[in-house]
Amino acid sequence: MVETVLLVGIVASIFVGFNIGGSSTGIAWGPAVGAGIIKKTTAAALMTMFVFLGGWTVGRNVMDTLSGDIITIEISLAAGVAVLFFIGLGILVANVFGVPVPTSMTTVGAIVGLGLATGTTNFETIGWIVSWWVVTPIIGFWIGATIGRYLYPELNRRFEIKSSEGSLLALDRSGSVPKPALGPNTTLQELGGTIVVLIIGCYMAFSAGASNVPNAVAPLVSSGALEPNAAIIIATVAIGLGGFTIARRTMESVGSELSDIPLLAALIVMTTASTITTALSWIGIPISLVMGSVMTIVGLGWGRATRPVTAREVMRGDTDTEIAMGALAAEPDAPVTQIGEEESEAALDAGDLFNPRAVMKYVSMWIIGPSMSTLLAYGFFTLVPFVN
Amino acid sequence: MISRVLVPMDGSEMSEHALEYALRAHPNAEITVLHVVGGPSPMWGEATALSLADDLEVDAAEHAEPVFERAREIVDAADGDATLETDIQLGHPVRAIINRADDYETVIIGSHGGTVAERLFVGNVAEKVVRRSPVPVTVVR
Repeated sequence: MVETVLLVGIVASIFVGFNIGGSSTGIAWGPAVGAGIIKKTTAAALMTMFVFLGGWTVGRNVMDTLSGDIITIEISLAAGVAVLFFIGLGILVANVFGVPVPTSMTTVGAIVGLGLATGTTNFETIGWIVSWWVVTPIIGFWIGATIGRYLYPELNRRFEIKSSEGSLLALDRSGSVPKPALGPNTTLQELGGTIVVLIIGCYMAFSAGASNVPNAVAPLVSSGALEPNAAIIIATVAIGLGGFTIARRTMESVGSELSDIPLLAALIVMTTASTITTALSWIGIPISLVMGSVMTIVGLGWGRATRPVTAREVMRGDTDTEIAMGALAAEPDAPVTQIGEEESEAALDAGDLFNPRAVMKYVSMWIIGPSMSTLLAYGFFTLVPFVN
Repeated sequence: MISRVLVPMDGSEMSEHALEYALRAHPNAEITVLHVVGGPSPMWGEATALSLADDLEVDAAEHAEPVFERAREIVDAADGDATLETDIQLGHPVRAIINRADDYETVIIGSHGGTVAERLFVGNVAEKVVRRSPVPVTVVR
């Protein structure tokens, strides 16, 4: 009987890990794959390796929090399996609707639901976790905004050498069929850029492992049904499986959104998000990559869009703008697209891109997601008390 | 006789139906196709890309071009002497449409577009435009 329940639990774990692998591989490697620096299979292999390292080291701290600190009793095997089903349900909903609901939030929500139903919730730990959840996006936004407003133009100028080297990389690949001798400078520069992108991707994979491996298996580890080491290996295999299969699609969908952003900006976002995620996982806070990433992206864009220079540039560049638009409209294959005078006076304002209400609506999903997970789990464990 | 019509298009099939309907209903009108770029999305990729672009106008025009290209094809295929103008706006689609609507006599919009995720982030655009537009709105379904 216990074996059967454990087996069901492991299958649920693999489902959760598989989906985590799909989504986080997309975030960690989408930009590199999109830029043509690395193949999808290589990305998945690196992902699996560094997820394992992250889970094996820093991930243990999060594992301890999830399996032992949120509720005062251990999560029984049956309850752990039920919790995993709620985590899986959260992921399923997120996938179906295309909304990035952080898995760590769903996990904590479901365990809290169990705690509320059994009256064993450790509110101190939860308060600690939730306050970091509030602070994290703010930190991400602030870092992004500072870089976007004050450093990005300078970084962009310096990176321009590197991004021209990106095209050299493409040249090299097309030339790699006849295998010509590469200029020594080209090779070095090219190598440098590629190595930076790979290192940052691996760093992000590491932080994904540290934060996400526990989500897939912690509910089973709590009761002692599964040894932590075995659990980490199972989660890694499941995440890797997702990385090699469904991530092919997510690297295109999530990755395409990320590779809309200039590679430099994507690297800034990845470095910031990975650092936040690794640091919080280190102190045992369950956190998802997406929470740090999205708000850093928004911060970067917002900081750049609202920088004081913009207003002046727009006013000064107004005539240039008209010429640019006129040049577009004058294309021979573009018939009746004259931009009327009334249009040109309404110059585009980048500030419109980050409407505070739209951002708030987005963030509200991070409140609704875990709340739903808590409520559902609470309802389930209240109605079906025997699994406790 | 209505002569200035605003047709917001998001590139969805439903928005193409809206343009086709506008051409049938107002065959001699001056039709402006409005496309909003950089709206809210799961990772805010397009919005951030635009704000980091060297030249916002050029980048926005590139994003909008496929939609306008399609609009031109539809206008060319239709009978009548309607003329087509294009307009690009940034950010939240509902706000952008409402801001522009004042300059037109009517708005013709598809009942829904986009994916479920987009609808979660911005809601049903047509519904909100109907509620807030200063001019009459036709919803095509």
